Amino acid sequence: MSPRPLVGPRLRRVLALVPYVLAHPGVTLAELAERFEVSEAELERDLELLPLCGLPPYTADRLIDVWIVDGTVQIRLAEYFERPLRLTPAEGLALLAAGRALLSVPGSDAHGPLATALDKLDGVLDARGRLAVDVGGSDHLEELQRAAAETERLEIDYYSFARDEMTTRTVDPWRVFHAFGAWYLATWCHRADAERLFRVDRVRGVRRTGEHFELPVGGGDAADLVYRPRPEDPRVTLRVAPDAVWVVESYPHESAEKLGDGSWRVVLAVSEAAWLERLLLSLGDEATVEGPAAARGVAAEAARRILARYEPSAR
Amino acid sequence: MPDRLERLVNLTATLLDTRRALTLDELAERVEPRYPEDLAARRRQFERDKETLRELGIPISVETVGGFGAEQAYRINPDDYYLPELTLTDAELAALHVAVTAVRLEGDEGRAGLAKLGGLAGEGVDEAMAAVAITPLVATLFDAVSRRARVTFSYRDEERRLEPYGVVLRWGHWYVVGHDLHRDAPRAFRVDRIDGEVTLGPARAFEPPPDIDAARFVRDDPLTYGEDHPVEARVLVDASRAGWVVDQLGVEAVAERRDDGAIEVVLPVVNRSAFRSWVLELLEHAEVVAPEELRADIVAWLGAIVAGGGAS
Repeated sequence: MSPRPLVGPRLRRVLALVPYVLAHPGVTLAELAERFEVSEAELERDLELLPLCGLPPYTADRLIDVWIVDGTVQIRLAEYFERPLRLTPAEGLALLAAGRALLSVPGSDAHGPLATALDKLDGVLDARGRLAVDVGGSDHLEELQRAAAETERLEIDYYSFARDEMTTRTVDPWRVFHAFGAWYLATWCHRADAERLFRVDRVRGVRRTGEHFELPVGGGDAADLVYRPRPEDPRVTLRVAPDAVWVVESYPHESAEKLGDGSWRVVLAVSEAAWLERLLLSLGDEATVEGPAAARGVAAEAARRILARYEPSAR
Repeated sequence: MPDRLERLVNLTATLLDTRRALTLDELAERVEPRYPEDLAARRRQFERDKETLRELGIPISVETVGGFGAEQAYRINPDDYYLPELTLTDAELAALHVAVTAVRLEGDEGRAGLAKLGGLAGEGVDEAMAAVAITPLVATLFDAVSRRARVTFSYRDEERRLEPYGVVLRWGHWYVVGHDLHRDAPRAFRVDRIDGEVTLGPARAFEPPPDIDAARFVRDDPLTYGEDHPVEARVLVDASRAGWVVDQLGVEAVAERRDDGAIEVVLPVVNRSAFRSWVLELLEHAEVVAPEELRADIVAWLGAIVAGGGAS
């Protein structure tokens, strides 16, 4: 990449800040810089450009007039930039989606300024009822958010889906975060004596301890939220039928290769056996384990365990 | 580079201010700093400028003028350019500022949009509390929804034509919902499963029903979303998983509580493969009790897996 600044972002900024100054004559340079996320020096460069701009034939009465007096700004002769540029679909969607997501978090004010702002945007974008963003609530969400905000240590009952077991743990709740359609609790888990991430919808019980903890610097960084294969996790190679391509789409994988017959060969890191069992049971004959040898019998073994319940003697 | 920026501002102003569309020759005579004299270079330069403006979302319309030696002429229709009257209060701007910082969107469209509405007011938050991934395809579909343009796309190897009523984010996935023209029925499609591009038809091609609520097109649960002949299933769940299942299905699904803490739940099944996956997720902690056909279905499914392989 060349070091020269891109013209697009600067033009975008100029077209946004001119209407703002026209509507707020006398606004200070400092406030403008903050609102439009630029340094004052850069802002001044933008403003110095404007007096060269205007309409043909670029005589004094056709050029944009900019006054900077005592750190305040006024602009004249730019009626055609009086109103800002329309939002692009992506911008409108981003604002509405972010706002709707935040508004759907339990505890947010359904009638506050965010709600009224979204209502106005809905009107302008003709989007009323046409965009729904549901990040959903979860039973213990507010309790966990409160504990994280107050750095209070908790005892939780947790159902580990991957391992298919129920445990009780003491945790320092660092952060509560929504991603990929679920709420997560990032913690220091005293049982594991390590950082652990929990899905809030699998927390079955929460008890306060009255003890407090200190949030470590960078603790529970959002970037760590996704399951990332650890080097020591076993790798399993699956051959997946074309109809089950969602496996490739849905899970982080080491590699995926489309084969001549439309099927896929995908290498997954599998940290917990129950997870692999469930995946294979639900795929049935749409997946075969190619390796390692130890994983080949996993599905059949799990199927036998379940079938035992269905045998006449079991009832 | 300052020259180019200056010309882009002037080009925008000129196209916005003109009453009639202007040809490239006319623009070259008017707009400063001047376009090159050389015609090929001029055209190239102008196309680049036009592209930059369009990337920012500036709507340049093209008209054909001049009968025989027909030529293209350009202008910006003010109604397409200007943001409709919105007047957000500073409290509302500040709330949107919090929203775009609290919800990570991947991409700077949120901030760019906010700049048009009056910039960043108040304080944002330092750490995002949610991530919502907006792909370009979702934005395209949202655009089609607002334009009331029909869309065509390929989904599971089948061409679909849809009158899109809305876009919905649920369970971490985006859906486009609307009226499927081939099936003549309401449908929801997962956006990440659309193959390739989406083609938009002309704007204002259909009138959506009044008071649309896009969210209602996406069913609450894959279990309750399907076209199989509905049957009622009864499932026995061990005590260790009972709480988990009640959370999922609601307490009204519990038909019986046993002394050992196990429960029997009753649920309607309209999607047999979703139901099967759901029961199998509980591994050996659950068992289909009735009806016999669903019980037999699970047994046959598991039997095939046992027969299909693997050492014991």
